[in-house]
Amino acid sequence: MGIKVVPRYGKSFKDKLYLPAIMGGMKTTFSHFVKNIKDVNKLKTMQYPEVQPDDLNERYRGVHRLTKWEDETEKCVACYMCATACPADCIFIEAEERFDDHDEKRPKEFKIDLLECVFCGYCVEACPCDAIRMDTGIFSFTGGTREEFVLDKKALMANERSKDLNDD
Amino acid sequence: MSSTIVIAVNIALAVFLAVGLTPVFVWWERRVSGFMQDRTGPNRCGIGPIRLGGLIQSFADMLKLIFKEDFTPSHVRYKFFFTIAPAIVFICSFLTFATIPFADNLVIDGKSYIMSAIPNELGIMWFLAFAGLSIYGIILGGYSSNSKYGLLGSIRAAAQVISYEAAMALAIISMLLSYGSIHLTDIVNAQAGTFLGVIPMWGIFIQPIAAIIFIVCSFAETNRAPFDIAEGESEIVAGYHTEYSAMRFGLFQVGEYAAMSASSAIIVTLLFGGYQIPWLDTPTVQSNMDYIMMALIVILPLKVYFLTKWMKKNNRSKNKEDKSRDLETKILTITFWTISIVIITLLAIFLTIGLGTNGANIATAVLQIGTFLVKFFMMAFVFIWIRWTVLRFRYDQLQMLGWKVLLPLALLNIVVTATIIVVQGN
Repeated sequence: MGIKVVPRYGKSFKDKLYLPAIMGGMKTTFSHFVKNIKDVNKLKTMQYPEVQPDDLNERYRGVHRLTKWEDETEKCVACYMCATACPADCIFIEAEERFDDHDEKRPKEFKIDLLECVFCGYCVEACPCDAIRMDTGIFSFTGGTREEFVLDKKALMANERSKDLNDD
Repeated sequence: MSSTIVIAVNIALAVFLAVGLTPVFVWWERRVSGFMQDRTGPNRCGIGPIRLGGLIQSFADMLKLIFKEDFTPSHVRYKFFFTIAPAIVFICSFLTFATIPFADNLVIDGKSYIMSAIPNELGIMWFLAFAGLSIYGIILGGYSSNSKYGLLGSIRAAAQVISYEAAMALAIISMLLSYGSIHLTDIVNAQAGTFLGVIPMWGIFIQPIAAIIFIVCSFAETNRAPFDIAEGESEIVAGYHTEYSAMRFGLFQVGEYAAMSASSAIIVTLLFGGYQIPWLDTPTVQSNMDYIMMALIVILPLKVYFLTKWMKKNNRSKNKEDKSRDLETKILTITFWTISIVIITLLAIFLTIGLGTNGANIATAVLQIGTFLVKFFMMAFVFIWIRWTVLRFRYDQLQMLGWKVLLPLALLNIVVTATIIVVQGN
């Protein structure tokens, strides 16, 4: 078995002087400074409100949406599976009888409190009908009051799948 | 009349350089560190379209510190000491600036004025006294906080002060030996002239070892990296100012930057020829004022041209519809050009009607103040540059450095300097 000798530094006079090493470090930082002050636009920092992220993918969990049938009615059957699975208890469902061809039950109201929500995605996994998804790609939801953060059925159904994601 | 104006200008300069520049240095610190680490630093805050590259952010932070509740924790036993500690740091750092000469002695109508805020002959002694005193504010602040982190910070500050003060004073002594005066104006005038007509006769070339020792010690003096062990935010929260908030914390902060200003100024004065324009001493400047003004008339528009070009290239929004930054660029371009045209007109008027003796003297003083400011800002940049390059020394490493390296080196340097001076004197 070969032996690798790890070189030890710090014993030579140059290393003990310490100043050459500091000069080397200063050279590095200064070259970065000069490079960046010459052209600020080359910086890797994403100037967020002006530039939006373009690397959202299928696994990104954004604000929820309720999926719909072709006739714009909800797929949700108000089975309460998502509310049961929710670790943050932020889903509030009120069921009612449904009279169209799709199912017997539908949510009269479906509320998600985004201030409570931890965006874990358990509701999406629990759903037996693929009725709730988190693929809207909305990562910054803002509001002025607490009430604005409680999304109702209308708002959840108005959310659409993100345009940045591939349609499959 | 003229004496009042000269004194007022000096005091205003000292106040501005010591305290008024704090927001600018905070801004520099953030932006320079940002650029050194390939980040942008704060560039958002603005009044209308005016952002000044993020400078407004420091004013916003200052306002926030002023309007925050001035809170004293209930476990602080001696409220008086707790309150005066930041004031001591601030006042001492501020007063350090008082004897720095901004220009050579200004002669108006045959009367000579020392161009420093407090015109006295104490010079370097004043600096040593107040720079040494400001550390007591830090020790007192941490001690009276009555918390373990504050106390640890104070202990570190105390250990730090005994390890660098001695070496620093000894480095200054060897410099005083070669300059032959403690008065800072004399020290700067001793640095006029050149070696062999090429190298300016600055302190750093006369006394290189003392210069290195002094620069290292003045970094320790200002409590900045690599010697900010009293703060040590990674180990002891924030050290001596853990328990401080609002403007008392702000005073510590201002004190730190005032100390940085003062240290930059004293380094420039002692080692980089102070207000001396390289290769041009005061009488040369006074007799060749016309040529210097002509040179300025040529150089100024060029500088403004390159500045505005750089601004136009870099002050752009990534969003094509956002025109606010283009508007800012336009406003600033017009402002800079107006200022430069006004200055050029003034210079042209002076060139045609002539300055007279008083005028030439005042113009020399203004030029020297400008030179001093350029050197001062470069040194302040070096302070910031070092802070974002070098790692923090450990508590025992600093003492090792102070006692085992810097102190013997400074003593040796004194002996060598004294020998050379005695031999040359004979």
